[in-house]
Amino acid sequence: MKRTICGLATGLFLGFGGGLFAQDDLMDFFDDGAEPAVVTAVFKAGRIINVQSPETSGKGEMNFIIAHRFGRISDGWYDLFGLDNAQMRMGLDYGVTDQLQVGVARSGFGKTLEASAKWRFVEQQEGGGSPVSLTGYSVLMRDGLRFPEDGIQRKGVHRMSYVHQLVVARKCSPDLSLALIPSLVHRNLVGNVEQANDVGTIGAGFRYKLNNRLSVNGEYHYLLPRPVEDNFVNSLSLGLDIETGGHVFQLHITNSRGMFERAFLAETTSSWQDGDLYFGFNINRVFQVGKRR
Amino acid sequence: MKQFLFLFTLCFSVTVVQAQRFSTRDARIEFLSETPVEDIQAESNEASAIFDMSNGQMAFQVPILSFHFPKALMEEHFNENYMESARYPKATFRGVVEGLDPNKEGEQFVTVKGTLEMHGVSKERTIQGTMVRDGDWWMVESQFEVACEDHAIDIPKVVTENIAEIIGVTLRAELELK
Repeated sequence: MKRTICGLATGLFLGFGGGLFAQDDLMDFFDDGAEPAVVTAVFKAGRIINVQSPETSGKGEMNFIIAHRFGRISDGWYDLFGLDNAQMRMGLDYGVTDQLQVGVARSGFGKTLEASAKWRFVEQQEGGGSPVSLTGYSVLMRDGLRFPEDGIQRKGVHRMSYVHQLVVARKCSPDLSLALIPSLVHRNLVGNVEQANDVGTIGAGFRYKLNNRLSVNGEYHYLLPRPVEDNFVNSLSLGLDIETGGHVFQLHITNSRGMFERAFLAETTSSWQDGDLYFGFNINRVFQVGKRR
Repeated sequence: MKQFLFLFTLCFSVTVVQAQRFSTRDARIEFLSETPVEDIQAESNEASAIFDMSNGQMAFQVPILSFHFPKALMEEHFNENYMESARYPKATFRGVVEGLDPNKEGEQFVTVKGTLEMHGVSKERTIQGTMVRDGDWWMVESQFEVACEDHAIDIPKVVTENIAEIIGVTLRAELELK
């Protein structure tokens, strides 16, 4: 028995020693110490088009986003294919850490004010670790339109709606990134009895890089079955990201005119089949306002 | 007893073979791009280095993603647009040290001839530096320059005022006998 153990130990040592002898190439040293690396720049901007990407503002970064959705392209020459009128959204996103972001925004659409928090709590890693990143996003929206004088009593709380979503994203190759985005929309007050207060959607998005500064993006949100029939449709958007140093320009065509989650996830009315599409853009400008380290 | 002796000898022989190798996994590399418009500085403390005293071979490797910048956006541009770290995740240098007396005390000026590979492009380089022996340690320091053009790192015209064509690199490693 003792002999066996000794033999085993010798064998082990021989194997171990052999391993050391075999390390005659210096470069082997580097392979041994390889640690998992966080995958970065999965998408170019904080939004794929309308919906959140896994990206957040870096620590101390203030991201100013100005976005427009013009009128219906199908309105033709009279409205210069929609360019005569636009909906606007202005937003500020600040990076508390490299993973945690808080933001505020204002849209002309419904005179909506937003406050949001976004946290990438799992990073995608290469060489071990998680194959996907997980990002949670919650936004509180306040409708600012004057209450109609129809005799119905409404309170401030009726203006509020909430969206919670999870962004599961993976950079599959240096060029291709994919995201799966389930969302839950809750509205304290809906337009009429035909509409549900809670709506769920399942979204998917992608980015494909054409070169280092240009990419094609797309996203689709499928409205899960609602208990009551409404006339809202699924949101589909296609666009281009153009990066020029400090700015990211996002140009797109979408059937959703609202630029906050409640509007484009749950309340899209124009359909691609009818050609009721909107041209729009997001301009992202980053300012470093706080210290990173 | 015989077996024990054999084991003992084996362990000892392993140690002897290893005795020539000095290494670290937390060497520091900084670089600086200086232009009249702005200075951009980045640093990594995750470079690996190994030096084999028996044959003078020396090698360095640093993950491109481990370089950190004062602004997150700079870091993204560095990785995405210039170094393309997803395709070329590491920069390596491998060479042979010349003019080193292993037993000499104090600072020695050395020349390392070898190949610097980054952004997928290899370039033969002769790099000057200093080495100091301190018991089981070698302190290695060097300052050298890297021309972006040498490694096919393309700097678009719009940012030529912000990014230098020649980047100054400072390296500091404390290699321990392993």
